[in-house]
Amino acid sequence: MKIETKKSWLTAIVLLCLSALTIGYLATVFLAQRQEEPIYPGPGVTEIKMLSDWYPGLKDTAGDTEVYVLKGAKEGDSMLVLGGTHANEPSGLVAAVLLIENAVVEEGTLYVIPRANNSAMTCTDPQEGAPTRFTISTPNGDRWFRFGSRATNPVHQWPDPEIYVHATSGQRLSGSETRNLNRAYPGRTDGNFTEKIAYGVAELIRQEDVAIEMDLHEASPEYPTINAMVAHEDAMLLANSAIINMALEGVSIGIEPSPTNLHGLTHRELGDFTDTYALLMETSNPSQGRLRGRTDSEMVVTGKDKFYVKAAEYGRLYVPYDEAGHPISMRVARHICGVTQVAAAFNELGLGNLVMTNIPSYAEMEGDIGPYLAPPAA
Amino acid sequence: MEIELIVFLVMLGVFLLGNFLFKLPVSLSMAAGAVAGALVAGEGIPLRHLFEGTFVYMDTILIISTAMVFMTVIQESGALEALNAVIVSKFYKVPAVLLVLLMFIIMFPGMITGSSTAAVLSAGAIVAPILLQMGIPAPQTGAILAIGAIMGMAAPPVNIPAMLIGGGVDMPYIGFEGPLAFLTIPGAIFTVLFIGLRYCKNLDYEKIKGGLDLEIGKKYGIKLYIPIVVIVVLMVACRMLPNLIPNLGMPLIFMIGSAVGLFTGKRFNAVKAIREAMKTTVPVLGKLMGVGMFIQIMTLTGVRGYIVINCFGFGLVVLYAAICIVMPAFGAVSSYGAASVLGVPFLLALLDTGDQVVIAAALSFICSLGDLMPPTALAGNYAAQIVGEKYSKVLRYCVIPFIVCVLFGLFTLLKSRSLGFLT
Amino acid sequence: MLYIYLAIVLFLLVFIVWNMIQEKNVLLQIDAALVVVPLVLRLLLIK
Repeated sequence: MKIETKKSWLTAIVLLCLSALTIGYLATVFLAQRQEEPIYPGPGVTEIKMLSDWYPGLKDTAGDTEVYVLKGAKEGDSMLVLGGTHANEPSGLVAAVLLIENAVVEEGTLYVIPRANNSAMTCTDPQEGAPTRFTISTPNGDRWFRFGSRATNPVHQWPDPEIYVHATSGQRLSGSETRNLNRAYPGRTDGNFTEKIAYGVAELIRQEDVAIEMDLHEASPEYPTINAMVAHEDAMLLANSAIINMALEGVSIGIEPSPTNLHGLTHRELGDFTDTYALLMETSNPSQGRLRGRTDSEMVVTGKDKFYVKAAEYGRLYVPYDEAGHPISMRVARHICGVTQVAAAFNELGLGNLVMTNIPSYAEMEGDIGPYLAPPAA
Repeated sequence: MEIELIVFLVMLGVFLLGNFLFKLPVSLSMAAGAVAGALVAGEGIPLRHLFEGTFVYMDTILIISTAMVFMTVIQESGALEALNAVIVSKFYKVPAVLLVLLMFIIMFPGMITGSSTAAVLSAGAIVAPILLQMGIPAPQTGAILAIGAIMGMAAPPVNIPAMLIGGGVDMPYIGFEGPLAFLTIPGAIFTVLFIGLRYCKNLDYEKIKGGLDLEIGKKYGIKLYIPIVVIVVLMVACRMLPNLIPNLGMPLIFMIGSAVGLFTGKRFNAVKAIREAMKTTVPVLGKLMGVGMFIQIMTLTGVRGYIVINCFGFGLVVLYAAICIVMPAFGAVSSYGAASVLGVPFLLALLDTGDQVVIAAALSFICSLGDLMPPTALAGNYAAQIVGEKYSKVLRYCVIPFIVCVLFGLFTLLKSRSLGFLT
Repeated sequence: MLYIYLAIVLFLLVFIVWNMIQEKNVLLQIDAALVVVPLVLRLLLIK
């Protein structure tokens, strides 16, 4: 069909005005995602630093991110917890926030980075239909959190190469992985933006002599590495003890050795390039899966999806799944249980001292984490 | 009937109505389908989702636009005509070899960049006049270009669907060269000989000579080819020496090539040429906008999941059928989308049936063939545009090579265990 | 590299809008109006 106009400049101006209005509206929507969700430091937080304190190259960039320091009265060893490496795996962020708002350290130091890839929190992945926010009910009102992207926001790192060559190993991945923080480790100062964030995390570990690093992730239910703790070979003993402790708390979790031929991930590179015990945990998140149905913030929170129920019936999943779904409370509880039990195993094995208290148990959180999140400020 | 099916039918229905009944452009029909789907699903008109979906194609927009500019520049400068004359006058005695050689030239940019569009718009545009002068009719020439570009996109060293599929299951892109070469080289040779050889068994050089411009090459000499050499060198250098040369990316490489081309041949009005190039490009970009909106709403409303889960509902035989039919059909929206949305779960479902790398390679190969599927069919549409034909006519000649390639892909999937030596 | 690519985006936008103003077919003008939206949002580093 052809609709001719004689005054093409006039229709063009009208249409450009419509485009401008659309751009104006969309700008407010997309920019709103740069507003950070509130985090209320709990009794254990002794200092809030920035990642640029360890690697100044990040200062005043979207990659700089808050590092919550929970220092105990007694000297001891330290642990770093990373949430939000992949900002579309929300239980990592929420678990980190829950630690910040509750944990008290008696011996040693706990470092928590809730938004490891701060840039990825500021956008959502195109064609994923993802919500920008979700809320968790607490007894004193709703807390909101952002649902972000798997990778760095392209406005902070663009364009992508056709293929991404990992710097230290030469491994080749598709170009979009160049913005994936968990393919960028150990990072480098002369690399791309995401590699600089990775370098900042590695520097924190090196400068503070962090004994344990735990990276909190989620995976889609059809993905084989799920409900698992992935451990660098140096951390296998620690992970083994931890998962036995977790089983005693009622959390069934597998253990997987970090593949030696898969590069750029925390559990591989931070184990190889620093002295830390490098661990990564995965829970099951239907809202990032490829089989999911209607995508909205409710699915993020309840973890319920009818197509995953079907997929489980077809035997296509690597985790049990039914109508009850995989709610975020349960997923966060698993992560927190993992953190607690890794610290406990670390002490039991005589590897060092890191004593944390005031962290709710798995059983307390499994049904509802709301009571353990600080009340939202008025 | 499940709500997702209703939404899907509404989206498809509105798209088809708009495109065929009201003769709206594909872009607007798809956008209308997306809006209708969102309305039926109770999402209102979600402007954010509609436009967010288009951002997947940001890099593609730049590649297509800059490639079109480059193509126009080397056409206007006379480089294309000169190159045709050289190739034909050197190889006209051995048409089969000439055809295979030309096919590899079409594939080359796709092999290096992983983009069938880049292949069609750069090498395809160079080769098309030669094929036409050899006596191959325009629709058949278009089919050779389209499939050649797709084979190039799927061929090693860079196959983006394979990377996307591998990335979805944390499989590094290692060991893919053998299986991908095994799949694409026979596919390419078969296609070009099957379609083209019958027309040029006995080439009459004297007749062809009339259509060649033998003078322009003599007038400007070797410098005429500098823009083509520049883009080939930059493409290869960026790939081979990633630590020495910063990754320029295809759009910038095409822009550099275009800038060089302004000074190496015939003088022409650059601004006018670029405007013409963009005039032909905008409808394609519009189509990408429509497709982006369509997929985003499919995901938002659960239609995407509905399609994927229904591919799994039956046994292995149906799964293989879905791989051969649904995956290339999904290419109607996007072959990269097919790789990421369908390729990953299909690979997971087939992990135990043989060699994982061979399976991923075969799936990526079948996905790539989806680039022939209308309405998007970027490679196909541009191939048709280059030879001045309607895509529907070109598509007709793609059917047999397409089926042969899909079956070859299926064979590779089924025999992946014994083909493990290729990795 | 980011700024070079933004310059390419701006370059393309100029030609798209220029063509749009002289395009007689309204449907093609709408196509151009659609394409302008993501390009401007990227140019302004919003999305």
